[in-house]
Amino acid sequence: MRQLWIMTLKDLRQRVRDRSVFVFSLVVPLALMGVLSLVTGGFGSDDPGLEPVTVAASAANADQLATAVLDTMESQEVVDVTLNRMSADDARAAARSGAADVAIIIPDDFGSSLRSGSSPTVQVVQGDGAGLETDVLISVVVGVVDQLHAASVAAAAAGAAGLPPEAIAAIGNQAAARAPALTLKEGRASDEQLSFQGTLVAGQAGLFLMFTVGFGVLGLLAEREQGTLARLKSMPLGHGIIVASKAAVGYILGVAATGVLLVTGSLLFGVDFGSPLVVGVLVLSVVAAATSLTFIVARMVRTAEQANVAQSILAMVLGIAGGAFFPIQGSGFAQTLLDINPVGAFIRGLGISAGGGGLPEVGAPIAVMLVFAGACLVIARIIPDRGARA
Amino acid sequence: MGVAGPTDAGQSAPPTTEVLRVHGLVKRYGELTAVDGVSFTIQPGETFGLLGPNGAGKTTTISMIAGLIAADAGTVTVAGMGMGPSETAAKRHLGLVPQELAIYPDLTGRENLNFFGRLQGLNGKDLSRRTQEVLELIGLADRAGDLTKNYSGGMKRRLNIGIGLLHRPTLLILDEPTVGVDPQSRNSILEAVEALSSEGMAVLYTTHYMEEAERLCDRIAIIDEGSIQAEGTRDQLIKLTGGVDRINLHGSGNSTAAAAALRLVPGVQHVDGDGSALALTVHDGPSVLAGIVTGAANAGMSVTSVEITRPDLESVFLHLTGKALRD
Repeated sequence: MRQLWIMTLKDLRQRVRDRSVFVFSLVVPLALMGVLSLVTGGFGSDDPGLEPVTVAASAANADQLATAVLDTMESQEVVDVTLNRMSADDARAAARSGAADVAIIIPDDFGSSLRSGSSPTVQVVQGDGAGLETDVLISVVVGVVDQLHAASVAAAAAGAAGLPPEAIAAIGNQAAARAPALTLKEGRASDEQLSFQGTLVAGQAGLFLMFTVGFGVLGLLAEREQGTLARLKSMPLGHGIIVASKAAVGYILGVAATGVLLVTGSLLFGVDFGSPLVVGVLVLSVVAAATSLTFIVARMVRTAEQANVAQSILAMVLGIAGGAFFPIQGSGFAQTLLDINPVGAFIRGLGISAGGGGLPEVGAPIAVMLVFAGACLVIARIIPDRGARA
Repeated sequence: MGVAGPTDAGQSAPPTTEVLRVHGLVKRYGELTAVDGVSFTIQPGETFGLLGPNGAGKTTTISMIAGLIAADAGTVTVAGMGMGPSETAAKRHLGLVPQELAIYPDLTGRENLNFFGRLQGLNGKDLSRRTQEVLELIGLADRAGDLTKNYSGGMKRRLNIGIGLLHRPTLLILDEPTVGVDPQSRNSILEAVEALSSEGMAVLYTTHYMEEAERLCDRIAIIDEGSIQAEGTRDQLIKLTGGVDRINLHGSGNSTAAAAALRLVPGVQHVDGDGSALALTVHDGPSVLAGIVTGAANAGMSVTSVEITRPDLESVFLHLTGKALRD
């Protein structure tokens, strides 16, 4: 163990002096994140940042149902609403002039129409400054109107069926109280999908991880090329110490670089990946998978140049297939291949974590990464060591 | 037969003072037999030379002795312990100076020594003291803090050697340590090896430079095409050639009469004459030289120059293999 530590420390010292590890592991991915983010919409956070909305509303003061519609719209918690009641014409004018973001005109016979079972028309006029906020408010209004209409239809049907007034009232209330047609939830459409910014940060971290852990293999090849491997082999070192130390260097660099990238990316782009414990386990798992892959590379190449080429290919293939730049979907066997990609599993795991998932929820992606690591180690043991013959 | 492990050596090998015993070593690469039945021993304090041209099998032999590669047949024991790629006990007694530079260019000289010293089990004050001693021995104490990529070729070579002897090995293996080294650094390296030998360290030295083998080695094995052609001290090897010297006479006058007269001089084996030059094969050239010059003069030849060529390891190699050492 002491010898392993001595060799690992020596390699880390060399890597720190050789600043390329910082360039490939931190500077390049961070720069790429920044460029991609700017190209696709600029720096920002996952918070949609909804602006306050001014609503010009027209409704009969005595109409309780119309008032209920406006109260519901005003009391929702997604968008800050300033409600100004005025005449229908003034409301339209306000929207057109920009004094209001949207005008909602509820007809004077809104309540009576609903009670009679017919469907009144609520008019909406969007101003030039309308955006996502007004869409949200319109959705709320539509939902409430639909609910009220459903209740009135149910009550009318009950009356036509000859039910007593108490039963008709109960049916009407039941229909009005059903779950709303539209619910608003602050957050992501899917708990297993990262936001664009989150995917960018996680993807670049996964992509450049292959380059970072590759410094372990390059260290082994450097020992071979500069002749120190022969000297090390002549020394009383425990079995596998040399290779283990290179793997340890790759693993330590991989964990450090991925951790720094995720933290830095989170701060720069306002991404929250969730529980640090879960993220930590995901990082340890994906670095294990990437490091194990380098064992195969180490067995197949003879020179540092060959190793660089092999690692670049692997990084790009695994990174792109894993969704480092954009999500990729397949079907059948292709999807199976995508599913066992450790970078893809890493991004999926971060998506689950970002959505609030704990360790049990990220069990599947972690299992994918660890099985991948085990499979690579087995393959590395089986295939001939071309480098040793060089 | 494989390389003997520690148990094999402990159970079957007789008590020995030999630092290194190599017996019947064989290494094949496909159809090519790189090393074919090499055997020799090295005693404590002895410098043993493996002399042979490039490609003779020296480095492959060294690689098996140092446990870098496994032998296909034969045994190696170092300090009585079996040697092989996984035999750590025997490797503790070994210091290897590979033919290729085996140092880290992005570490300083002191860091290189400290790193390899720690792997050999040195630490703390022992490591510091020993590192300083070696730095002074190899003449790099004042450059110890420089990155070795800024060293000259000779400095790198000296550091390469220093790392090998840092832990005071029982057996130091030097594989062509002076290849590509300037004359000054080469002399410095040879002096260091002589000093180590005088301190009692056993040294296995491979070279294709005859002069180095003659200067350093107590015993020499001449190796060619994977097998040892002859082994012994320098004098023993030279006797294999018949031990004769060559004398070339240049001059004017009656060289034909001189050649006839010189064939009668005691100690002269053979005389070839061609115009103004005579080539003689003699026993112990210096002792018969005066008689030869006098005899030539008495026969009418005025000698203007004399050249004596004594047999050397080059002659031995030529005699044994029919080719020059540097072919």
